[in-house]
Amino acid sequence: MTSKNFLLTSLFCALWGIGISGSVLAESQTPPALESLRNLNAEAPTRRALNIQRWQTAEGARVLFVEAHELPMFDLRLTFAAGSSRDGTLPGLALMTNALLNEGVADKDATAIAQTFEGLGAQFSNGAYRDMALVSLRSLSATEQREPALALFQQVVSQPSFPADALERIRNQLLAGLEQQKQNPAKLASLELFSRLYGQHPYSIPTEGTFESLPRIDEAQVRQFHQQGYAAGNLVIALVGDLQRSEAEQIAAQLSAVLPKGPALPALPEPQAPVAGRYQVEYPSQQTHVLMAQLGIRRTDPDYAALYLGNQILGGGGFGTRLMEEVREKRGLTYGIYSRFSPMDAPGPFSISVQTRAEQTEGTLALIQKLVQDYLAEGPTQEELDRNQREITGSFPLSTASNADIAGQISNIGFYNLPSSFLEDFTRQIQQLTVQQVKEAMQRHLSPEQFVIVTAGPKVAQQPLPEPSADAPKAEPLGVPEH
Amino acid sequence: MISVIRPITYALLMVFSLSALGDGASSQATHEFTLDNGLKVIVREDHRAPVVVSQLWYRVGSSFETSGRTGLSHLLEHMMFKGSARLGPGEASRILRELGAEENAFTSDDYTAYYQVLARDRLAVALELEADRMASLRLPTEEFVRELEVVKEERRLRTDDRPNVLAFERFKTLAYPASGYRNPTIGWMHDLDRMQVEDVQDWYQRWYAPNNATLVIVGDVTVDEVRTLTQRYFAPIPRRATPEARRPLELAEPGERRLTLEVRTQLPSLLMAFNTPSLTSTENTRAVHALRLLSALLDGGYSARLATRLERGEELVASANAGYDADTRGDSLFILTATPNVQKQRTLEEVEAGIWRELEALKTTPPSPEELARVRAQVIAELVYERDSITQQASVIGQLESIGLSWRLMDEELAAISAVTPEDIQQAARTYFTRSRLTTAHVLPLEKAAHDQ
Repeated sequence: MTSKNFLLTSLFCALWGIGISGSVLAESQTPPALESLRNLNAEAPTRRALNIQRWQTAEGARVLFVEAHELPMFDLRLTFAAGSSRDGTLPGLALMTNALLNEGVADKDATAIAQTFEGLGAQFSNGAYRDMALVSLRSLSATEQREPALALFQQVVSQPSFPADALERIRNQLLAGLEQQKQNPAKLASLELFSRLYGQHPYSIPTEGTFESLPRIDEAQVRQFHQQGYAAGNLVIALVGDLQRSEAEQIAAQLSAVLPKGPALPALPEPQAPVAGRYQVEYPSQQTHVLMAQLGIRRTDPDYAALYLGNQILGGGGFGTRLMEEVREKRGLTYGIYSRFSPMDAPGPFSISVQTRAEQTEGTLALIQKLVQDYLAEGPTQEELDRNQREITGSFPLSTASNADIAGQISNIGFYNLPSSFLEDFTRQIQQLTVQQVKEAMQRHLSPEQFVIVTAGPKVAQQPLPEPSADAPKAEPLGVPEH
Repeated sequence: MISVIRPITYALLMVFSLSALGDGASSQATHEFTLDNGLKVIVREDHRAPVVVSQLWYRVGSSFETSGRTGLSHLLEHMMFKGSARLGPGEASRILRELGAEENAFTSDDYTAYYQVLARDRLAVALELEADRMASLRLPTEEFVRELEVVKEERRLRTDDRPNVLAFERFKTLAYPASGYRNPTIGWMHDLDRMQVEDVQDWYQRWYAPNNATLVIVGDVTVDEVRTLTQRYFAPIPRRATPEARRPLELAEPGERRLTLEVRTQLPSLLMAFNTPSLTSTENTRAVHALRLLSALLDGGYSARLATRLERGEELVASANAGYDADTRGDSLFILTATPNVQKQRTLEEVEAGIWRELEALKTTPPSPEELARVRAQVIAELVYERDSITQQASVIGQLESIGLSWRLMDEELAAISAVTPEDIQQAARTYFTRSRLTTAHVLPLEKAAHDQ
């Protein structure tokens, strides 16, 4: 998840619009085709071969394994359905439990655990989000590093001792984190948005906890959360790297056997439709952060491919999307604007985020609302559809280029119970979609009237927006080949 | 668009040679050649997946900029997406996107780099586009005017509305009294306000020549393919004289400096920096490697000294970090940052004293063999992990080359680093952790009253 977000962020940072200005048009001829494009093979590119092996352990953990012997290393990634949506009345409980795993086991304190991993060159990492809690290990695959690293990893995940002093320290660090959030208008806007969007649903729970809840969390509650959330039946194990199948089976079996016994946690409830409206968080910043959202989809929604493609065109693809073109490229109103579906276990949000100089907030917001309304009413153009279908095919090889990429992909496939052929199926579905299908899918799930809008920034007198630059010609002179 | 901030462990990546890792992890084939126009090309083969990364590194960044024109390198980076002789504004990005490429660019104080990651059969397009904008950037005024507004929004987003980033920007002006490293890469707002398109044009003319760049390609390619492609697209670009780039040198011991900053933060924090040399600015590379090890001993993981002693042991800090970048074009800094544990009523003064205790301990007692063995184990493993990412491999090569060193240094450094003794580390601590090299800043929350102005 982290690497995906990073990828999106880096993509988003650099991408730039088409908007050819009038003056340039006047002096430019149709550009000559690039030689390299003319010579480009029209076939879809291949990607690194993946043979996803899948099985279940005796205790019910689901395992996905991809052998990769090129580098003498492996990645082990555990995904438990034990995110903050399971916090109940104690926001922060999932995060605190996850953060305490490597703070102590029977015969080792936090320092001894870290010294052992680091002395082996092994990397331990953990994190908690809304749907899931992650625990990961990256290690060299040679026996003398692999076996002691795995032995300690097993112990840390299955028999953490939750020392009292560590609990206090982590609690204090989380409280310090909440203090830091007060200086972050983007975070303040996001907290307000999830609260308004999800009401009583567990997705409204702030993963980092609250000033009220963190002091109430005690060792018994953490133990109980671990007992249920970190049960073998609630786990997906992803393994990628320099391991034989028999070794992978052994790693999964041993790990699963020492975890608490228990089933997968019950499905999350369905969220209620939120009330559309506008909310303001007062903050003395130069920019206003604007978030607008409505309920989107589950990860398993049959419209997933159509909505992915529809959103890529609207504001998901960075450069060249309708939102980036109009708001950044033609008017210079922002460093970046982005829209996204966040498909989750229960319906996650569809959201649009942008930051702009406070004096331009109202104009920018009105512009975005108009762009979304038009897009939902008319759907994409055929040219937009073609371009984005080509992009998704072309980027396919990048999705599984590294062991880290593969570990992320198979973790998601396992966690959301998707078929092993998911990546191929998705790419094929994308290619088969029509303008009409994309438009209808977007209309089925989104409505321009349903947005919950949160702005975080100062109250200042508003200015009108600058005039946009002229439209670019719609011709496609360079002829990127079909595939 | 991105000011490169490297993780603190980064400096260690180059410390040990891949050849030290044995048969299972021998280094990928790496080739180097230079075109007649001076463009240096480095190709590293990695055939695990049919993808390739192409990075073009120009040897210019914000430390080259003069007073009144800060932010120029970064602004030029933005304008490089605004069209060339053959392509309109944004068109190259549109083509790359349609090919499924991931592209980006970043500016730092020493260099500006542009990259594309894409399916192997599309590499030619990335190179043709990159060559085109090296040869014929267009810089339309109307695009410049709008893009300048985008950059100002970027500054508001990433600096002005982020109190700790803003504080660090101020801090650097004091820590670097003599060199261009004091310039913020994004530029001062008052310099952005008076920037002209002619400034950007001039900067481009001055520095964006093939003989001032390095092309790094890592992935599923052969050197022959790359030779053919670079010959076709880059070789026609003529060599141009570029100004002599002087290394950003500092005063060795500028004297102790202290700064108090009140910003819109919730928690106080401490910034400390010692003026130090880098790999390029001193003959005494043994001391530089010792500084790298000092950084790892203090903050090379959760078992390192700052986390073990100050965060968990004394519970003096909520967090504390140390970092030293040896791979710069000029002199460098050894930086320490910390936030006090306010829940335990710890103050900035106590944190400052606690950090000094750790620095003094390094001067008086050499590190144990076990501690050094842990650092070494992490470095050796990192060198394997790094090879899982073609982008990371290319970045290490590109950065070394851009600061005037050879990528081959990776291989040669093993001996140097192995030669560092516990006594060398102790000596480096004594030499560099002194008041005369130190800048300290206390970053404090604004008073509540001022908050609601």
